[in-house]
Amino acid sequence: MPASSIDTFLACSIMIVLVLSAIVSTSNTLRPSMDELLHRNDAERFQQLAQHLLLYKGAPTNWGSLCDVVPDSLGLADSASSQPYQLDIDKVSRLNSYNIYSLSYSQLWQSFSVSDASFRVEIKTLFNLSTSLISTTSGVNETTYQFEVYAEKSGTPVLAYLHSYVVVRDYVNNFASSTSSNGHSSILVTIPNSLNGTAILLTFAKAESNSQIVAYDVCTFRHNSSEPSPNRTFTRLNPLNYVLNVTFTYPSEEVLKTQVFTYNYNFSLIEKNRSAQTAEYYIPQLLDASPMLLVITGLNQSSSFVEWSSYPQVPLEIGTDFDESTNGAKTVSFSYIVTINLALYEIVTKWGGLASP
Amino acid sequence: MGRIGITLKMFDNGGQIRIIEAFLAISVMFSALVLTAPMSSTPDLEKQGTLKKIGTQVLIKLDNNGTLGKLIEGGNWTALKQSMDLFLPAGVFYNMTIYDENMQRVNTQEVSNSNQEGSEAVVIQYLCATQSSDTHFYTIKLQLAWPK
Repeated sequence: MPASSIDTFLACSIMIVLVLSAIVSTSNTLRPSMDELLHRNDAERFQQLAQHLLLYKGAPTNWGSLCDVVPDSLGLADSASSQPYQLDIDKVSRLNSYNIYSLSYSQLWQSFSVSDASFRVEIKTLFNLSTSLISTTSGVNETTYQFEVYAEKSGTPVLAYLHSYVVVRDYVNNFASSTSSNGHSSILVTIPNSLNGTAILLTFAKAESNSQIVAYDVCTFRHNSSEPSPNRTFTRLNPLNYVLNVTFTYPSEEVLKTQVFTYNYNFSLIEKNRSAQTAEYYIPQLLDASPMLLVITGLNQSSSFVEWSSYPQVPLEIGTDFDESTNGAKTVSFSYIVTINLALYEIVTKWGGLASP
Repeated sequence: MGRIGITLKMFDNGGQIRIIEAFLAISVMFSALVLTAPMSSTPDLEKQGTLKKIGTQVLIKLDNNGTLGKLIEGGNWTALKQSMDLFLPAGVFYNMTIYDENMQRVNTQEVSNSNQEGSEAVVIQYLCATQSSDTHFYTIKLQLAWPK
């Protein structure tokens, strides 16, 4: 073999090795940029999907109020509103698993019809309100309870007007106050000792800066009775289409009073139907920028109970738990301010690929 | 061993030059790619786009029932700041400046939650019309940034 042929063969081999090395190195160098480009498209697409979920009414457009209907196409917008980001109170309530008419994530995912995307929806009030009982003073005729209220968002105090209601059996009283600059307030509640049973303190907080921003908290405590049972022990309250469906856990339960509370109003509910295991009540359509709190008081044998539900049923969380996801897929989250029945809420949608329910 | 020695002796100068030439060419190409990759990095457009959408949506919601116009007309800068604190997600820096029809600054107090110096901020311009009987127009310049 001539020397020049061996020489050319070796030169070509080295060139091929070098070119291949260069290609591998280049692809490794550019991979992060390529991945970023791909994910950038994903984020844009997921944002469009999030907006579609909030701006589209779904099919049928009134699927929220039809308790036995699974939507053919998922959308949460209020069918009666032309304003953007106005959500339907019933569509939102059907996302809450505490409602017997709720849809599972699997049903939502199928209705949404985007097979390569999984999602999570979280709806909450724009700030947090917490109430805690700090002292009890027993008198001869009445007992005084002192509650500490704190309004905050991400650790920042919120200035808010407060309106509280206390309910024991068929007794109702209300109190107004406001938070100070540190977000705290103290509420004194006095209840006659002639009453006994589980008591409940409902507190609504309306931001001083915007009357549409309302948060609430519920605190259950005992008044001359044993420790209260957790909520949903005696009944299950399922508001939908402005009717409250009540399912009783025990057949011996007796209803004393069913009421609706908002920041400004308080009404007794009118009974629609009643059977041994269930009852239905009409919920009034109140023009108040506030969540509604539906409270039922009753007796189970000799002990009294108080149970409650909000309408719309927020806060809620439904969908894929991306925090526990181990597939390493990129997830994106989008936050929006939405209106539900005149009040403002924050909705956070999280999106990712691959996982299906 | 003796055979390899004979083969190496048979290399001519032209072949060696080709090897060096190929090596240099590949080195130059690879170096160019490696050196230019960091230079081509752009601002994070995804995050900036998200901020713009958040800011626009917040202003639209705040203006939905005339609240924004009322707060500006009443010079209630504290309430406007509190509203922005509640509307924006935690961790977003903002700075809002309001101008009248003559582009004169209206807000006499800072409507801001942080100094955004050094952050990559996005600017949203929004035209707000008051819902009072004598309508006034205000241009709102809202700067938003994520923490560094």
